[in-house]
Amino acid sequence: MKALIIDDERLARKELTNLLQEYQEIEIVGEAVNAEDAEEKIKSLKPDLLFLDIQMPGKTGFELLESLDTVPEVVFTTAYDEYALKAFDFNALDYLLKPIEPDRLKETVTKILNRDSKEEATTELPAQKLGPSDRVFVKDGEKCWFVKLENIRLFESDGNYIKIYFENFKPMIHKSLNALDEKLDDRSFFRASRKHIINLTWVESIESWFNGGLMVVLRGGEKVEVSRRQAARFKEMMSL
Amino acid sequence: MKKRRLYWTLQATGWGIYLIANLIGLALNPQELSEAGIRLSRIELFIHTPLLFAVSHWFIRQVILKRRWLEINIGRIVPRVLGIIVVSAILVLALSKSIYMLAGTIEEFQSPELLLSLMTYTIFYILWSTFYFLYHFLEGNTRSLKYEAAMNEMHLNQLKSQLNPHFIFNALNSMRALVDEEPSKAKIAITQLSNILRNSLITDKKRVVSFGDELNTVRDYLALESIRFEERLRVTYNIDPASGGFEVPPMMVQTLVENAIKHGISKLMAGGVIEVSSQVIDSVLMLKIRNSGQLINGIKKPNSRSGVGLVNTKERLKLIYGENASFRIYNENNKFVVTKVKIPHRI
Repeated sequence: MKALIIDDERLARKELTNLLQEYQEIEIVGEAVNAEDAEEKIKSLKPDLLFLDIQMPGKTGFELLESLDTVPEVVFTTAYDEYALKAFDFNALDYLLKPIEPDRLKETVTKILNRDSKEEATTELPAQKLGPSDRVFVKDGEKCWFVKLENIRLFESDGNYIKIYFENFKPMIHKSLNALDEKLDDRSFFRASRKHIINLTWVESIESWFNGGLMVVLRGGEKVEVSRRQAARFKEMMSL
Repeated sequence: MKKRRLYWTLQATGWGIYLIANLIGLALNPQELSEAGIRLSRIELFIHTPLLFAVSHWFIRQVILKRRWLEINIGRIVPRVLGIIVVSAILVLALSKSIYMLAGTIEEFQSPELLLSLMTYTIFYILWSTFYFLYHFLEGNTRSLKYEAAMNEMHLNQLKSQLNPHFIFNALNSMRALVDEEPSKAKIAITQLSNILRNSLITDKKRVVSFGDELNTVRDYLALESIRFEERLRVTYNIDPASGGFEVPPMMVQTLVENAIKHGISKLMAGGVIEVSSQVIDSVLMLKIRNSGQLINGIKKPNSRSGVGLVNTKERLKLIYGENASFRIYNENNKFVVTKVKIPHRI
């Protein structure tokens, strides 16, 4: 498993490298000193795992994740940051407190390696598109989530933001729906209208609507109107 | 409970002294009264003294308490109290004379004698009321002074700067790495951190510390941050030797330097410089901290705590030095922020 360490302090990176030495399964492929550096290295080195500091000059660790289309496994490392800790409490993301306790690191590594071996079975998409098992990082105010795309029912554009519907949450991310649409795998996600992208696996029922459009009801209760133009495509895709 | 006991002691002592003084007076007998006259007067004394007490306790005091006269200002209360004193004196007079009549100790009323008794009672009630009001006035006063002092102390405690936990844990993390890399440097760092922790504990006990001690804390603090930030942090000092005799609130300069790191250096990818300088001009200590970065005014996130440290420092200076100290922070240009503090020689 390829790992990238992102921290602005050399000694902090060194300490983590030392601690990770006893895990043969984890290969440290590089180190990044800030978010900008990290973005480049994530593209070129394609790590499976990030050890990510939150407070760094320039973009924070959270902001780095928000800028990534798809996120690898992430373990946050932080010394003490009340707001970040609150976010973790909320969603039990993996995090390590500096100075890192070797036993705690062991737990984290074991958890990640287990998860990794389970997921290897799923087929990978050939293209750069995001498939159902890919995860995105979503942060809304103090809360943050890693959401698997297969759990997202609906993307709804709202000004410059996109509202993401999953479980009982509707956080917003700063992104354009068009840009997102291009990234999503169109076998699972369908552009229902100018304002909506729906996850086809979450469709519960379909009714015909005015002007030759369709009304799609999702498991979860959201109703989404499919425009006339897209309805034709929808029928085509859904029919045998 | 204590107040209740005090009230009863004063009541008993006061009227006791009145009784005893009168008894002694009768025994000395300056008016050369007859044996029977003295005996009568003694009986009268034993009748009207308890009456004086009873009226003061159940009438005057009750009126004062029920009508909340203790809360009204003195100027407006005096005529009312005089009024009630006259009424009380008449009451005592009427009651005691009726009792004497029933007991048959007097046959006829003489107006000069009545007037004399009335005046005596009035004077004693004036004394009684003076004591009563004076006690409450003094007690209320000390209570409000004590309260104000306690509030000030509490406020000052809240404002005292606390060491940032983020700093402590990051420093410890760097030290862990240093133990392998440069053990001797790690040892020094441990000593520096313990010095800072010790000084921050002293903060809880002291109002001010010598500038020299504070500067040592700042040196230790910046040395530790230099381990963390390495070449990204450059520190220079320019200290006037005369500043050693000044006193500053504990951890104040440290807080300001910490702010410079937190909001300045740590936000810059290339890092920056911090200059700590002091100068004594006309026995005023002029502190200056200049650091790379920019002070951003205006839009603040509702949850952000930035700015609290600066407001606290200002409040602390005001509580300790009044108007004699000053604090200022501003952008020198688009690269540097300057923090200036003026501290007087004596509190």
